Amino acid sequence: MKRYLGIAAAAVLLGAGPALADGQLHIYNWGDYTNPALLEKFTAETGIEVTLDDYDSNETMLAKVRAGNSGYDVVVPTDYIVKVMIDDGLLAETRPDQMANFKNVEPLWADPPFDPGRHYSVPWQWGTTAFAVDTAIYSGDINTWAILFDPPDELKGKINMQPSQDEVFNAALRYMGKPLCNSNPEDLKAMYDMLVNAKQYWRTMDYGMIDTMVAGDTAASHGWNGAAMRTRLQRPTVQYAYPKEGFPVWMDNVVVLADAPNMENAKILQNFLMDPENAALISDYAKYANAIAGSGAFMPPEFAEAPEIKMPEWAEPLGEFTLVCDQSVVERYSQLWTNLLK
Amino acid sequence: MASVAASAPERRRRRFDLRKQPGFGFMAALCLLVLYAPIMVLIAYSFNETRSVSQWQGFSLDWYVKAFANKEIQEAAWNSLQIALVATVIATVCATMAALATTRTRPWRGMTTSYMVVNLPLMVPEIVTAIATLIFFALLYAALGISFGIGNLMIAHAVFCVPFAYLPIRARLEDMDRTLEQAAADLYATPWQTFRRVTLPLMMPGVTAGATLAFVVSFDDFTITLMLAGPGQTTLPIYIWTSLRRGISPEINAMSSILLVISVILVTASFLLGRRRK
Repeated sequence: MKRYLGIAAAAVLLGAGPALADGQLHIYNWGDYTNPALLEKFTAETGIEVTLDDYDSNETMLAKVRAGNSGYDVVVPTDYIVKVMIDDGLLAETRPDQMANFKNVEPLWADPPFDPGRHYSVPWQWGTTAFAVDTAIYSGDINTWAILFDPPDELKGKINMQPSQDEVFNAALRYMGKPLCNSNPEDLKAMYDMLVNAKQYWRTMDYGMIDTMVAGDTAASHGWNGAAMRTRLQRPTVQYAYPKEGFPVWMDNVVVLADAPNMENAKILQNFLMDPENAALISDYAKYANAIAGSGAFMPPEFAEAPEIKMPEWAEPLGEFTLVCDQSVVERYSQLWTNLLK
Repeated sequence: MASVAASAPERRRRRFDLRKQPGFGFMAALCLLVLYAPIMVLIAYSFNETRSVSQWQGFSLDWYVKAFANKEIQEAAWNSLQIALVATVIATVCATMAALATTRTRPWRGMTTSYMVVNLPLMVPEIVTAIATLIFFALLYAALGISFGIGNLMIAHAVFCVPFAYLPIRARLEDMDRTLEQAAADLYATPWQTFRRVTLPLMMPGVTAGATLAFVVSFDDFTITLMLAGPGQTTLPIYIWTSLRRGISPEINAMSSILLVISVILVTASFLLGRRRK
């Protein structure tokens, strides 16, 4: 009740938008991920009232959507979950590839493996998971996973790793040139021995890299590109690596649920989000890259051109979307991970 | 002779007083430290000047100002409040009736079973209740097209709040002197008059204590709410949890501190009310 009064009051105060709202739209997105200014602009331009709720993980969102009648129109799953949702028939085929603003999607992201041809999904934000190195401590070549697994003397004992089984094992397998989602016992044995040896060089295992790196407690840290950029802003000698052995890319995408109560409004939002000015608002809030050409013009250049955000052209072929491994592989990984942490 | 006999158990009791055992003070202090030091750190950093939650930079109230100005937080707080109030009213009424039926009647067949059923939500793992309730409401909608919106959450909260309201009320009823009610009946008061003029006023401290406890439990609930909340139904605990993915900021510390203070005040009030004698 109060919310509707609030929106009505805001509409009157702004004097913008039609007097009568053209229906509603219920968005369910990751927490602290949606720019309030973006939704206000959408309501002002279309007259559609928006509610926003947050989830903490793809799994929570998926559980509620699978139960049916979630009431939500739009959700923002990560790449591999988009594929799961398409395969399970949970999404509406809204054909973003035929929408007016689709021409703005950068070619690199227009035909992703999780949604060939983009018949269902619109890009939200993407990023990479590699690592950052303080070049004041180590000035050699950092674009290799060896920094974390066979570090130079300067970095030994000053490394932070993400406490994530998938991220650490995938990085290790890439470093050793072995296939991902690996069930070959010999490969896994070699990987495990390599990690046991590497572990002596690690200082901490933590998702947060910014505070410890700025304070100088760690000099190399496994983590996300957005966090690496925020670290560099406080410690300019920090540099983000694009490992030559390859690295994971993730992308969150805007999709419409098959049982969406406001299907047409959801399609309007999908098209709206492929406009460069609107995509810039997405990135401006959460500080990750969008996949919309021309959005850089609406962002501060120090962000749009940041080396962590704008992947260098030579690194583009090295990025790969994460695969979903078989259950047997996941179980084997979990055993190894538990042993490794002992 | 009698005085000697009385003092022997007295002496024994003193000898076995747990609080006098060596190391008791140390262990107690250690337990309190482990339990409360993290919370103290959380509160302290909610007053930090910069975004860091590990390095102290100076005192500031900025994060509280930010938290109060955040529209999503305001809406989440309003949702939490509505749900907790409605759930408390439903739960307290049910719990009062259940407490009367299990203390002010002759023992009846199935009384123990009823007692256990009322308290079941305390025993069943919350995630099980959460998923079962999610499926229940989804089926209800699929089969009959019925959905109560935010009412779904209120009903679910009322269910698991019942035992929290029930236990203090029952304890109060068991403590009460039944001769007063018998005296009222002797003086030709009808059962309703006896309840309205004697039982209810005497049990009020228990009811208030139960209601306060139910309110806190609903206000703080996370697991069931996360599963059931629909569009526009984010509550404060859900908002805090989902914000964590992008890193802990002092704004979250500030909100957590506010939640904590509200809970502590209400639980203390509940405790004091429950302890109050006629």
